[in-house]
Amino acid sequence: MKNGKVLLKSLLASVALAAAISAQAGSLTIASPQDPGSWDPIDTFLVNWASVATNVFDGLTYRGPDMALVPGLATAWEENEDGTRIRFTLREDVTFHNGEPFNAESVKFTFDRLLGEEGAQGPQRSNYTAIDSIEIIDDYTVDMHLHQPDPVLLTKLAGYGAMIVPPQYIQEHGSDHFAIHPVGTGPFQIVNYARRERVELEAYADHWGGAPRLDQLTYRFISEPSTAIAELQSGGVHIVIPPTVPIGMIDTIENNRNTHVASVPSPTVEALRFNTESGITADERVRRALIMAVDREAIVDSILAGQGQVISSFQGEFSFGYDPEMEPIPHDMEGARQLLAEAGVEPGASLQIDVRGGDATFGEVAQVVSSYLQMLGLNVSIRGYETNVLLNDIIPEGRTGEMFQQKWGGWTFDFDNTAYLMYHTGERWNPYDSDEELDAMLNEQRSITDPARREDLLQSIARYTQDRALEMPLYSINALYGVRNEVQNFEAAPDNRLRLTDVYLED
Amino acid sequence: MTTVQTRSDTLKRFKNLEFILGVLLVGGITLAVVITHWLFPDSGTQVNLTQRLVPPMTEPGIWLGTDALGRDILGRAILGGEISLKVGVYSALGAVILGIVMGLISGYYGGFVDVFVMRFADVQLALPFILLAITFIAVIGGGLTNMIILLIVSQWVQYARLVRGSVLSLRDQEFILSARAIGVHDIRILFQHLLPNLIGPVIVLMTLNVANNILLESSLTFLGLGVDPTIPSWGGMLAEGRTYLQTAWWLSVFPGLAILLTVLGLNLLGDWLRDILDPTGRTSL
Repeated sequence: MKNGKVLLKSLLASVALAAAISAQAGSLTIASPQDPGSWDPIDTFLVNWASVATNVFDGLTYRGPDMALVPGLATAWEENEDGTRIRFTLREDVTFHNGEPFNAESVKFTFDRLLGEEGAQGPQRSNYTAIDSIEIIDDYTVDMHLHQPDPVLLTKLAGYGAMIVPPQYIQEHGSDHFAIHPVGTGPFQIVNYARRERVELEAYADHWGGAPRLDQLTYRFISEPSTAIAELQSGGVHIVIPPTVPIGMIDTIENNRNTHVASVPSPTVEALRFNTESGITADERVRRALIMAVDREAIVDSILAGQGQVISSFQGEFSFGYDPEMEPIPHDMEGARQLLAEAGVEPGASLQIDVRGGDATFGEVAQVVSSYLQMLGLNVSIRGYETNVLLNDIIPEGRTGEMFQQKWGGWTFDFDNTAYLMYHTGERWNPYDSDEELDAMLNEQRSITDPARREDLLQSIARYTQDRALEMPLYSINALYGVRNEVQNFEAAPDNRLRLTDVYLED
Repeated sequence: MTTVQTRSDTLKRFKNLEFILGVLLVGGITLAVVITHWLFPDSGTQVNLTQRLVPPMTEPGIWLGTDALGRDILGRAILGGEISLKVGVYSALGAVILGIVMGLISGYYGGFVDVFVMRFADVQLALPFILLAITFIAVIGGGLTNMIILLIVSQWVQYARLVRGSVLSLRDQEFILSARAIGVHDIRILFQHLLPNLIGPVIVLMTLNVANNILLESSLTFLGLGVDPTIPSWGGMLAEGRTYLQTAWWLSVFPGLAILLTVLGLNLLGDWLRDILDPTGRTSL
């Protein structure tokens, strides 16, 4: 009995405390669908890592929601003639959250670590293999020597693996400690991390760009969309970040007088890719017929409620290599029927579409696609997998049905990253196809420094994939944020990399 | 004396009501499923993107509204009933057959067979259903047939235990002893003499089990572990409607109601059947 009372009292106290904290000015809470598990920059490829860590770390360059590349920890940079060396002038008077100074040594340490043994264990290194070494010129000048020119490198330095980390801290505590208690130079520092539950950040007053306006920033990991949106409506969180909000819940958020949806075109694209090795989709004519049978305009207009654009290749309009002249294969039911008959596909032939089971929006899209394909007389089934199973077992091992869902972020806004991983022989996301001509083009564009020539080649690659009907490109989809009205100055980031220095809460 | 009379009268009337309601609900839904499938084979599967999320009773011919893909909710709810009834009835039948055979053998022969079967049943009962379901579906895959197999595998134990208990109390009675004494074959004793004497409670259990299986099927499909999303089913409709709960209630309310009414009807029938077949209440559930 007595114990019960004590328990009740402490419960009440903690509720009161929680209320006090949430009432405090400048404390913002965000719902994120996924806990990245490790905060180490070399250890992740998750967008939801970046939506937290962009506040904690800085790169040499910085790219904000406006997509312009601006100085970060480097104030200036210049490339030599043949593009094999970049000289960076570093920002002075910058300190890490633990007080450690930032200088040329930190830059060298960061890239040695990324390109060395430790980086080799993580997924980030392969993005930065163009870098040969870092040479320290003086305390605030470094030369980055490259094996070969990399046209996307400066963009890549603005995120993920290239985030500058503190040498002394990591040497002293080890990488395992660093992954859970990260230290960077960013505007917020991580003070508390409860795995799969939340991560709490505090303003870093000595940030080189000035202290952020918020005092506290908390991310709660909520994977279920209905739960996250209920929290948004009740004020438990202020912002719900992508990819959480299903298209079908936009009205739910807009109809509430305290919340609204912030939508911004994003680099995320979706396609239904084909098994080009076996089944009816091994025949190019069949693949083309299937693409023609599906009215993608109608899908974007109705299911996506206009929150997306039809794409002609596996990239959105902001991607370098996008060709505005290139048209999607047009919707033509009759043509599709003829082509299918020509290919000798019998009515009732079966076709399986593999999708991520938890994706409500795509679940609807897949059903519409299947109804179009059924009009061709095919016997279509949809198979839902748990996302991780689909991404780690089914696709890379080539165990999919005739078609499978592929969702792709492409944060570098360059078709190279997408195309190479999707079409080059032997790549993880290319379990079925091998095309020498395509391989040659993909390799060639990586060594071209002239942007115009490279863009040309990337556009040819896009056309080539359309000619071979390697996938059914569907749409690029907007990034949707659910936001409470008291949140001020929030600018929705297309790539989900949030930097909340100027955001504040209105009373 | 008179009060007792009235009370038993009310009870009787209630029992009749139970029966009438049960038959109406279960019969009505079964009839609807059969007729729709026969009269309008396409209803509820036709996607129409120009008629998305139409509210109920606002447009002619669309009684219960349409879903996010413009499919008729009424048509889907009825077609979904087919999946539910199929899963419910087939899996209960399968479980009954397996359960009766195992229970008869186990109870009649006793000894090692009994120990083996019953300990196996204990192990199975100790496994939580959802865990079993997720493992099973991960290994074998989803789909209608697999779900029925899964339900049979997980439900036969109840029947086996019930049957075994009844056999234990029956097998030493005079009519069985005399049958054995005159040399009746074991199989005949099991199926001709024992089975008819214990089938009552089994049928009652089965009615309730059908209802339970319908609920399990809906839950599994809701979780995305059940039937293909292109096939309309109540659980699948609920899951799809969840996104629209605050803006288009009819997507989830109607399939929810359909589950409620079917399960209610089956339970009422089951209760009524118990009073007829098993007045002493051996099927204490």
